[in-house]
Amino acid sequence: MAYSFPEEVLEHVFSFIHTDKDRNAISLVCKSWYEVERWSRRRIFIGNCYAVSPGIVIRRFPELRSVALKGKPHFADFNLVPDGWGGNVYPWIAAMAMAYPMLEELRLKRMVVTDESLELISRSFKNFKVLVLSSCEGFSTDGLAAIAANCSGRFSEESRISSFDLLSFATFFLSNQTKRYNRFELKPACEVDIGSPISLIPDFAHHWCPSTFPAWPPRCPSLRTLRLNRAVPLDRLPNLLRRAPQLVELGTGAYSAEHRPEVFSSLAGAFSNCKELKSLSGFWDVVPDYLPAVYPACSGITSLNLSYATIQSPDLIKLVTQCQNLQRLWVLDYIEDSGLDALAASCKDLQELRVFPSEPYDMEGNVALTEQGLVSVSEGCPKLHSVLYFCRQMTNAALVSIAKNRPNMTRFRLCIIEPRTRDYQTLEPLDVGFGAIVEHCKELHRLSLSGLLTDRVFEYIGTHAKKLEMLSVAFAGDGDLGLHHVLSGCKSLRKLEIRDCPFGDKALLANAAKLETMRSLWMSSCSVSFGACKLLGQKMPRLNVEVMDERGRPDSRPESCSVEKLYIYRSVAGPRSDMPRFVWTMKTPS
Amino acid sequence: MGGGAATPHSSSSSSSSSSSSIDSISNNHPSLSSASSSISLPPNTKRSGLSTDLRLGPSISTAHIHHCSSSAPSPRDQRVDWPPIKPLLRSTLTGKADNQRQATNLFVKVYMEGISIGRKLDLFAYSGYDGLVATLSHMFKTTIFCSDPHVGGADHSGKYHILTYEDKEGDWMMVGDVPWEMFLTTVKRLKITRADRC
Repeated sequence: MAYSFPEEVLEHVFSFIHTDKDRNAISLVCKSWYEVERWSRRRIFIGNCYAVSPGIVIRRFPELRSVALKGKPHFADFNLVPDGWGGNVYPWIAAMAMAYPMLEELRLKRMVVTDESLELISRSFKNFKVLVLSSCEGFSTDGLAAIAANCSGRFSEESRISSFDLLSFATFFLSNQTKRYNRFELKPACEVDIGSPISLIPDFAHHWCPSTFPAWPPRCPSLRTLRLNRAVPLDRLPNLLRRAPQLVELGTGAYSAEHRPEVFSSLAGAFSNCKELKSLSGFWDVVPDYLPAVYPACSGITSLNLSYATIQSPDLIKLVTQCQNLQRLWVLDYIEDSGLDALAASCKDLQELRVFPSEPYDMEGNVALTEQGLVSVSEGCPKLHSVLYFCRQMTNAALVSIAKNRPNMTRFRLCIIEPRTRDYQTLEPLDVGFGAIVEHCKELHRLSLSGLLTDRVFEYIGTHAKKLEMLSVAFAGDGDLGLHHVLSGCKSLRKLEIRDCPFGDKALLANAAKLETMRSLWMSSCSVSFGACKLLGQKMPRLNVEVMDERGRPDSRPESCSVEKLYIYRSVAGPRSDMPRFVWTMKTPS
Repeated sequence: MGGGAATPHSSSSSSSSSSSSIDSISNNHPSLSSASSSISLPPNTKRSGLSTDLRLGPSISTAHIHHCSSSAPSPRDQRVDWPPIKPLLRSTLTGKADNQRQATNLFVKVYMEGISIGRKLDLFAYSGYDGLVATLSHMFKTTIFCSDPHVGGADHSGKYHILTYEDKEGDWMMVGDVPWEMFLTTVKRLKITRADRC
């Protein structure tokens, strides 16, 4: 090239390029573009914290402002990953504290975050603005208090707090009146380890009482999101709402009280004042009589999370049909087919539906929710593209209908609660039904299978699911051929998680190279032998092949013995050094 | 929905899930969920509805499922890894007995000697004396003792107080002598008094 742009010009042009994919692409053009790009990159997403080391990231990108990290594999959400596995964020914080003093945002998912880490964050980054902890654990309110004292925070759902001292946290938070908080949600999980943490919750509720702190919300007219603790009783809600009528997202506390007309009218009045409200959740212990108080706000609601609302179909129908602009609904199977019919008729903007099982362990469960409900919604809601559905029966015909109705489906997760359930009408496996899903829904990027499935379904998936990025499989398949179809056919596959399937060594070894193109592969309770794991580890130096076995050292058993759990992921950082006693990395011979 | 164990002080306007467990026998499907925990208790068991019932629940219901389930060779285990739902939802749905206890409240006033403004506490949120004492120690920044030697508040050196309560008869008693459940039925208010007064 006779002339090349000065670096400043390149940098200016690159400042318009935001997505990781695009940034990665331009960094490959030539050395000078690589250099300019790496100095100008401000945000990074690391889908597997062990795929790279803090040092490598810092060396390449010296000026990051926003970092997102994910730790444990997805199946950790369902207790398949033993405690102590790893994913501790501290080494990252320590390294970033030195390298990125201007860091503004940190988003962590499924990581172990200790109070030590939180305290280090609060001390190290003067410009810190956003902290999001999703499904993280290991911290207590002491750590949160340190953050609250120094920066605005968002602590999102499902994070497990291991010990409580809500009193000090609440005091810290509320006394920090000069800070402007935009969003505050603290949702302690039911699993807590130390002391009597539940006993401290009422104390927290006291601190949210307007009479104790009349300036609540503490001078933050910009408060957009508030999710209350379950222990905050309903009669407190009207006052809280009156003080924050600009709320966009509200999570109620307990939605129950003895029926008192003045509480009801006060609540209804407060809700009609909240003109900006778009998202509602909470509804713990809900008493149906109080639901109509919400109706004045329903026309603006786009997201409704009723996953904890144990109310019956008629009340659910009345509420849901008020929300004509609903885009997202999470609900228990109490809604039943009749409720889903009503949903399909009223909520034409619906994009995402999640139906959870109210009785996850009951053999019979709620039989009034069947495959028909999902078919109705797929017929009636043209924008529906994301589904998570727990049910107890299914037919191929229903799946074919859904597939034909909704070719725009992008995420389809079906969980038939009893493993290996057949089509209840034809008694056949559900291969054809899921086959129709992948054939018609060409943009499908996430799929979870269930029911009785043979290798055929994997052949369909390998043939058609070219945009599939994440596949979850449980209790399915006949043998290695199934796995082989998926690994050899799914071009876009990034994450594959498998449990309790008869997949063995052959498919894995034959498709070893594919594993380097994916983020990770999880296999538990399958038939992969220790010998095959060793071989894979030897052949593929850029893969970390981790065997997890709580029965003891895998080499104390014959090589042909299956391993309990296998987690394989690509990495440029080599084997990790923080493995617990039940994890072994298959090393390449040096 | 699986019938609930009776809740304390169920009022007529409470949610339908608080119907007495006797009624729920006829409403429920024979293969019972674990939530219908006190079905096998005799019909005239006193429905005080306090935590005693709920604690006995799970072991009885498992036995009952043994009885009732015809098709499965063994009772449906409550696996923690299937079906694939997140821990918070799982414990919310399966811990329904706990839910119902939290659905009603028993707020009592708490005063510390020498301080005219009192606090209020929901005793139903605690499962025993240790939780209560721990909270009060934090709240009032002092070491609190009751008559149970194993229960002690956090150590705030130098200050010691004793926890007392006023019972239904108007007498002031030291907290900790009677079983927790019985305490809940007689307590009207709490007072944290200086140790030298007792």
